[in-house]
Amino acid sequence: MIDIKNVSKWYGNFKVLTDCTTNVAKGEVVVVCGPSGSGKSTLIKCVNALEPIQQGQIIVDGTTVSDPKTNLPKLRARVGMVFQHFELFPHMSITQNLAIGQIKVLGRSKDEAIERGIKLLDRVGLKAHANKFPGELSGGQQQRVAIARALSMDPICMLFDEPTSALDPEMINEVLDVMVELAQEGMTMMVVTHEMGFARKVAHRVVFMDAGQIVEDAKKDDFFGKPRSERAQQFLSKILSH
Amino acid sequence: MLSNFDFSVIPVSLPFIWEGLLYSFKLTITAMCGGIILGTLLALARLSGGPVLSRFAAAYVDTLRSIPLLMVILWFFFLIPLVTGKPMGAENSALITFTLFEAAFYSEIMRAGIQSIPKGQVNAGYAVGMTYWQTMGNVVLPQAFRNMLPVLLTQTIILFQDTSLVYAIGAKDLLKAAENTGKNYNRPVEMYVFSALIYFIICFSLSMLVKRLQKRIAIIR
Ligand SMILES: Nc1ncnc2c1ncn2[C@@H]1O[C@H](COP(=O)(O)OP(=O)(O)OP(=O)(O)O)[C@@H](O)[C@H]1O
Ligand SMILES: [Mg+2]
Repeated sequence: MIDIKNVSKWYGNFKVLTDCTTNVAKGEVVVVCGPSGSGKSTLIKCVNALEPIQQGQIIVDGTTVSDPKTNLPKLRARVGMVFQHFELFPHMSITQNLAIGQIKVLGRSKDEAIERGIKLLDRVGLKAHANKFPGELSGGQQQRVAIARALSMDPICMLFDEPTSALDPEMINEVLDVMVELAQEGMTMMVVTHEMGFARKVAHRVVFMDAGQIVEDAKKDDFFGKPRSERAQQFLSKILSH
Repeated sequence: MLSNFDFSVIPVSLPFIWEGLLYSFKLTITAMCGGIILGTLLALARLSGGPVLSRFAAAYVDTLRSIPLLMVILWFFFLIPLVTGKPMGAENSALITFTLFEAAFYSEIMRAGIQSIPKGQVNAGYAVGMTYWQTMGNVVLPQAFRNMLPVLLTQTIILFQDTSLVYAIGAKDLLKAAENTGKNYNRPVEMYVFSALIYFIICFSLSMLVKRLQKRIAIIR
């Protein structure tokens, strides 16, 4: 479903990604972790072309992302994305947030979009907040709305960039629960996170990045059993110790 | 000294003053709407228009911001007939001049407003599949406009004051109407005082309004 082949990327002279290769098969959940600044966010943003790449190839569901002929809006509409800081549209109500993409991008009617939006809102347990504005919700609630917004487009896969790292600890689980449920339903997911509990529970594979390189790309059990690289071992022992 | 004043000219002047005021309003509102639209396009061109467009927009904005408005008014009024071959009338000439001139100022305000919207919001728009224009129109510009509303209105108050400059080309605005009636009834000082009072009352109340708006926006955020 998502094929990342020998991808390199520079910010000016600074090489952020070096020859990254990995993939996410249909129905698979891949967790990406690694120290701060290792390029996780950059890599995941390359998948739906929010960031351009200079070398290599990314193919999503048969479409080459970096091909200049690719219709990017069309591709992105099929790839859901959830951000660290939620990025709900603050000037729109929750319902509008859920409907806008469906109406403007998918061309659904307003009624249809709202109905679908409310259904998804119900699913993430926030139906009562339909008419509020993002600023009136807690971080955990906003992030659940953001997941519902991504789902409203009926995506073929979902990208998550540290969806819980901006949340107060007591709100992390409400968001992870929604993600676990999604994973168990068979959604294809690429998730940047340090929540190793989530990885253990639903991930199929874990990708470990350091300094712009994919250092380790292993089945979950192998990764948690005994990561091959020393850097991954160090990283694991650090984040599992607290 | 004050006993020499005769303010009985004021009731007589009201219909003329009203007509002049209406033109001043028309000029202000046209230049505001046109200026904001054109200014927003200039800001977008400057921020994401590619090398040619953005340089053009920058040159346009920087040039107009460096020339006194009065000179632009005069030039436009005297040059355009030379180019097109027929006079355009002071009122219409002023409408166009002000729109083009104010666009440069509104453009800088909108540019700041657009830049104040975090990149994450743009990415969120793109991520649901919106195009550049959809993201601008639905996500960035509404927020930029809301954030900048007090500044845009403050610029409009300045614009309203500046409309009095059109008197130089003889357009019949509030100031011109006051001057004309002052001349006709031989009470120029009274009429200048009266028109100054009108400018003051309008601008002062608008400023108060902007202050309250600013507080409200601060609370929303
Ligand atoms: N727009 C940019 N311009 C220049 N350098 C950037 C830009 N965005 C990110 N970087 C740099 O690229 C590197 C990788 O950044 P990235 O955000 O992908 O890391 P990350 O693994 O997601 O880290 P974190 O865990 O802190 O989110 C960092 O060194 C960062 O400073
Ligand atoms: Mg990151």
